Amino acid sequence: MEKYFDAAYIWESIPALIPYLKVTFIIAGLSVLFGSLLGLILAVMKLGKNKIAQNIAHGYTTVLRCTPSIVLLFLIYYGVPAIAMNFGINLNDMSSAFFVVITFTLQFGALMSEVIRSAYESIDKGQYEAAVSVGLSNTQAYWRIIFPQAFVVALPNFGNSLLELMKEGALAYTIGLIDVMGKANLIIAGNYNSHALEIYIGLSIIYWILSILIEQFFLKLEKVFSKGKKNLNTV
Amino acid sequence: MSNGLDFGFLIDTFFIALSGVPVAMIITIVSLVIALPLGFLLALTRINKMPILNQFSRVYVSFVRGTPVIVQIFIIYNSVPLLLASIFEKYNIQMDVYDVNPIWYALIVFSLNTTATLIEVFRSAINTVSKGQLEAAYSVGLTTVQAFTRIIIPQTLVVALPNLCNATVNLIKATSLGYAMSLPEITLKAQVAANASYNYIEAYIDIFIIYLIICSLVEFLFKRMEKRLRKYKIAPAA
Repeated sequence: MEKYFDAAYIWESIPALIPYLKVTFIIAGLSVLFGSLLGLILAVMKLGKNKIAQNIAHGYTTVLRCTPSIVLLFLIYYGVPAIAMNFGINLNDMSSAFFVVITFTLQFGALMSEVIRSAYESIDKGQYEAAVSVGLSNTQAYWRIIFPQAFVVALPNFGNSLLELMKEGALAYTIGLIDVMGKANLIIAGNYNSHALEIYIGLSIIYWILSILIEQFFLKLEKVFSKGKKNLNTV
Repeated sequence: MSNGLDFGFLIDTFFIALSGVPVAMIITIVSLVIALPLGFLLALTRINKMPILNQFSRVYVSFVRGTPVIVQIFIIYNSVPLLLASIFEKYNIQMDVYDVNPIWYALIVFSLNTTATLIEVFRSAINTVSKGQLEAAYSVGLTTVQAFTRIIIPQTLVVALPNLCNATVNLIKATSLGYAMSLPEITLKAQVAANASYNYIEAYIDIFIIYLIICSLVEFLFKRMEKRLRKYKIAPAA
């Protein structure tokens, strides 16, 4: 088998892969949406007074942090249909995207619960007391005073978690999802497994640019929002 | 499938998967041993803004942190044999590239990967140690090497320890991707065992439990170490 490095394959692979970023984005977007909700629930459990709820939430985070994504992915992929079968629901024909979203929702939820908790704890308790003392209701105090400040604190960590999620998302190809990674593997299989290196390099360039873009976007966002924070501090 | 779990298989596979733990541990430990000094030195080049090395480590960190580990694995796994083949051909070494144990590739991938993580960990940790510490060390007559080994590094380590723990846990988790290089570690061993009878759920539960145990142990050890180092830090100050 002749194996020579041909850079032309790198440039050819990139335009072929880019359309499949859409799948990557949809998966990441859904996981972020559901994961943030789960994270919020877990963070509320951790911050609440109920000892049992606290332990459940902390246990959940520890377990998820100790599980490799690939193991979780397969556990969900094989486990969820088996459990559903016991309730008479047939999930065997479900799209693999469904299982990928469940996996990364669970994982992102664990990450976000810590991000939200630390952001909430970083806000001075006096802020809430001050808000209530000027006559805001409980909801108003949280929504108008605590949330905007905690949001700014959480932003960099949220960005990091998002990057992490996107990179781990590459593993979804293992259960047959065709995102950028899956497409790259299909192209390689189409070439009879030659020039795999060039196509993976093309793929890595796409991921690299994407993460730099996301990173810069969050840095900008942080700057925009911390402007408001500075004003609050100086007043 | 809905007959419930096959507990006999669950227990048998647990021990098969357990036999993959040494491989995972060797990779973790060797990668850390390589990456710790390298990461520290490259972090120093970034802090001191050394001309070429600074830019190099910046691009390096950005690339490794910006791409999925699995893609890095595939790149190394596909490129190193090509390089080796041409080297062997040039020097007439009679050796088949495809006979190389995959553990070597795994070591390359995970050392490179961990080095990048540790550069960032050490960079932020060194930045927290005030410059006056180094100046004070010089002023009492320590050489640069002494100043670093006795004053700067111990303080840096205390600060870096929680992040080091995270990096180690992430590294252990990442070794599960070694299956892509047909590395006989925990995941691959259990997968192979499951292939025969399609008991995938049991196999993955085993893998899940093993990683849970290992990672909890590592976290526990780091917590212990953190406590001890903290004492060590306070003692000279008092």
